[in-house]
Amino acid sequence: MEPEVVNSEMLLPPVLPFKRVQMSDKYPKGHARGRHWKHLKQILQAENYASYPADEPNYLNIETPPSIYPSKKFCDITGYEALYIDPRTNLRYANPDVFKRIRMLPDDHVQRYLALRNAAVVLK
Amino acid sequence: MGSVLLPSTYGFPKQIPSPSLYSITRQEESIVVVGEKPKVSPISPSRPPKQRGRAMPSIWRPSRQADYDCFSSATPIVIDNGGSAFRIGWAGELDPRVTFRNVVQRPRHKTTGETVTIVGDHDPALMKYFDYTRTSHRSAFDSNVVYQFEIMEYVLDYGFERLGANDLQVDHPILMTECVCNPISSRSKMAELLFETYGVPSIAFGIDSAFSYKFNQQHGICTEDGLAVCAGVTTSHVIPFVKGEPVLEACCRTNIGGYHVTDYLKQLLSLKYPYHMSSITWEKAEELKMEHCYVALDYASELQLFQKGKKEAEEKTRSWQLPWVPPPQEEAPSEEELARKAALKEKQGQRLRDMAAAKRSIRISEMENELHGLKDLLQQLGQVEETEISSILSKTGYDSRQEIESAIQKITQSLRKAKGEPNETEERIDASLAEKYPLTNVPDDMLTPEQLKEKRKQTFLKTTSEGRLRAKQKRFEEESMREKQNQQEEEKRLENPELYLEKLHARYRELSEKVEQRKRLKTNGARTNGNQNLSGGVGRGERLNAAQKERMRLLTTAAFDRGKGEDTFGARDEDWQLYKLMSKDNDDEDNGQEEDEAELARVTARLQSEIQRTVPCSFAAGMASQSLIWLASLYTRDLTSFMVWIILQHPKDWLDIDPTFVAKSDMVPLQGTPELPRFRPLTAEDFQIVIGVERFRCPEILFQPNMVGVDQAGLDEMVGVSLRRLSTVDDAVKDRISNSILVTGGSSLFPGLVPRLEAGIMQIRPYLSPLKVVRASDPILDAWRGAATYAASSHFATQTFSMQDYYEKGEAWLRQYHIQYTL
Repeated sequence: MEPEVVNSEMLLPPVLPFKRVQMSDKYPKGHARGRHWKHLKQILQAENYASYPADEPNYLNIETPPSIYPSKKFCDITGYEALYIDPRTNLRYANPDVFKRIRMLPDDHVQRYLALRNAAVVLK
Repeated sequence: MGSVLLPSTYGFPKQIPSPSLYSITRQEESIVVVGEKPKVSPISPSRPPKQRGRAMPSIWRPSRQADYDCFSSATPIVIDNGGSAFRIGWAGELDPRVTFRNVVQRPRHKTTGETVTIVGDHDPALMKYFDYTRTSHRSAFDSNVVYQFEIMEYVLDYGFERLGANDLQVDHPILMTECVCNPISSRSKMAELLFETYGVPSIAFGIDSAFSYKFNQQHGICTEDGLAVCAGVTTSHVIPFVKGEPVLEACCRTNIGGYHVTDYLKQLLSLKYPYHMSSITWEKAEELKMEHCYVALDYASELQLFQKGKKEAEEKTRSWQLPWVPPPQEEAPSEEELARKAALKEKQGQRLRDMAAAKRSIRISEMENELHGLKDLLQQLGQVEETEISSILSKTGYDSRQEIESAIQKITQSLRKAKGEPNETEERIDASLAEKYPLTNVPDDMLTPEQLKEKRKQTFLKTTSEGRLRAKQKRFEEESMREKQNQQEEEKRLENPELYLEKLHARYRELSEKVEQRKRLKTNGARTNGNQNLSGGVGRGERLNAAQKERMRLLTTAAFDRGKGEDTFGARDEDWQLYKLMSKDNDDEDNGQEEDEAELARVTARLQSEIQRTVPCSFAAGMASQSLIWLASLYTRDLTSFMVWIILQHPKDWLDIDPTFVAKSDMVPLQGTPELPRFRPLTAEDFQIVIGVERFRCPEILFQPNMVGVDQAGLDEMVGVSLRRLSTVDDAVKDRISNSILVTGGSSLFPGLVPRLEAGIMQIRPYLSPLKVVRASDPILDAWRGAATYAASSHFATQTFSMQDYYEKGEAWLRQYHIQYTL
């Protein structure tokens, strides 16, 4: 190791005195471990919240419901209030100038703009 | 303690003050307008100075603490395990000892080849020693829940190591923060990790925003009945407090936070400036967000302000200058220089001309001498006897008198050519076609075999010369026609330039479509998918183009139609004609295509010249292809799409130009001459990233998560939802609660957030009901500080559980485990 790296103390030492089980013992080198963790979705599924009383707060039921107000539409490009929707790309736009720009946008940009508000075409 | 933590010390300017101009330098990045820097107050030397306020501690590495042994094993260690930063320190202290970004990287060390672990941020200068190609920053969090405990272990390792732990185990009680309603599996895994790997004696888990609220309550900023609005990194929470205890039944969470704001800003900017995408990194977006984003009090009217292009909007716009080096400018040569060059050129030309003239005169004199000699020889031959002729001829190398004569004729002709006299031969040929080739008109049977041979030669010569004449005439005709056409078009242009241009465009489109369609037909789309089959071999499933199809057809017919069973191919001479057929480009309408292509080239050239006419002179002056090419090389993208981008950025400058035309200009050089249309020179402005609407558009997603497709209510409505869920308390308590709303969490640092929240909540609450929204004394550190104060209390031990408790009581008990926040 270079002295610079050693001096900066940036690396985590492989063996730490205060640990009962060292990292190398827990996850031995060369052993394929596979995936030993669950995503949040799987964790929540395993929690089985349905079996508990409904009024007990849990990770899922404390989520905020959707807004009671109708959502405002904003231009995807400029952010101004959008009065129109381009039927070809489904992008919202504020004025004819933006429309011209939309029509000149490459398709991947259109999809990225749509993805920003979770409206992109997802192929499954 | 309290005096240091007054809000004034930590407060940030609610609005960014009036812009002060910062000079733009060409070499380095700079933000044109910079708001007031947050104040730095000296609290603890071990904390990074940059941590305070809105600037992130980007490359700050915590140093290892030396006083670990000074603390008795009864002193709890307090950990704020937040989505963005991990803070660890001792109970009862004012500030965490160690703070770092809650991320892990596992790059490979280049020289030794071993995989190393780096927790938190590090000095980018040391990056050269590591290979990062297969790793990136990894976080233990999915949303706000810890799910990857291997990464969590690295983080904890580093935290304890920096804190100075050196015993055989971490022999201190631990107070750790977690999210609201943490899933039990996550909580129990964390407990297991702490118990089994570190040998921790006891643990307590608490909610970070609750600690923050309690801390502010202790300092009189909020009361025991109140509401904590916590805008975090990945989620935002609203937690109501009644009698100093959080009411989890009534709290709510929206899955949006500072992370989403940064991401939105980054995406928007990189879509707005696709050519500067590489400059817009996550870190830069984070920095821009913290420096320049604010929450608009009234989003709609703020938008109007920008849409109408008011002066205030201009003042609110910031631009970020990317490093930019002006392209190499050619200096216009001075007049002297020009004159000197012209003189030099003239001189060189003169010298060449002189040389050529000298050479020619030498040749002429040589030829004249020769001619003279030959004529003398001829004369001599005429004077002498027949018998002597052969002896004279043998000396000269000529065989006969005729030969000498023809040589003389040849020399005379080339002499005439050299002297520049008009060559009369062609006209003479024209006139004397019949007499020159006398045999051509004589029937074959009247001629001797020798004459027949002569006749064949003559016929050949005659047809070729005739052909030459015809071609010449045709060329002449075409030229005159083109000239006429040009003239007509020029007239049309002068008559009505706009109409003319329009017509030209239409014609261009029509022609290019036609030509392209034909090309497509011919190649049958073989080229459109990019993987052109160079070998010409045809694999399964590949389409044949027209030529290949024809080839196939010919081959199969040759194989099957003849012979009927036995292969007789090659037995007859005509069989081999097949290959001629195959190699021929059997496109019958080649002529039409060529015409179209020529016409297209002509129209393109005209359009280009039109563009040059319409582009404003200031742009046309000076610069052209060079800086563009230079720039394209910078970005290694193709030239034309960059041009399109430039045009999109400055539509006003390019009103008269059809961008589709410019985009296709790469097909022009095929037909030769027209030069590149002149573009305006690139300026520093093309390397500026302008942040106007984005400044408040991005933080707005905290209030309108719908803007990024999250179908949940925003911060202000969340307060209403939370109060609605508080069904058990009466209105008087709700009034008390809304009179003590505390805003905390990193995202609450946006200027203007508190007034906006107040305005939003006012709409929800009954008319004239009390309302007070305050910002936490330090939205980022309060959670840790609250926890540290809590852990220092003498009753803290009653809230913890040990490993024995955990294994005896089991998971069901852990699910019910909630600490009392008021001790």
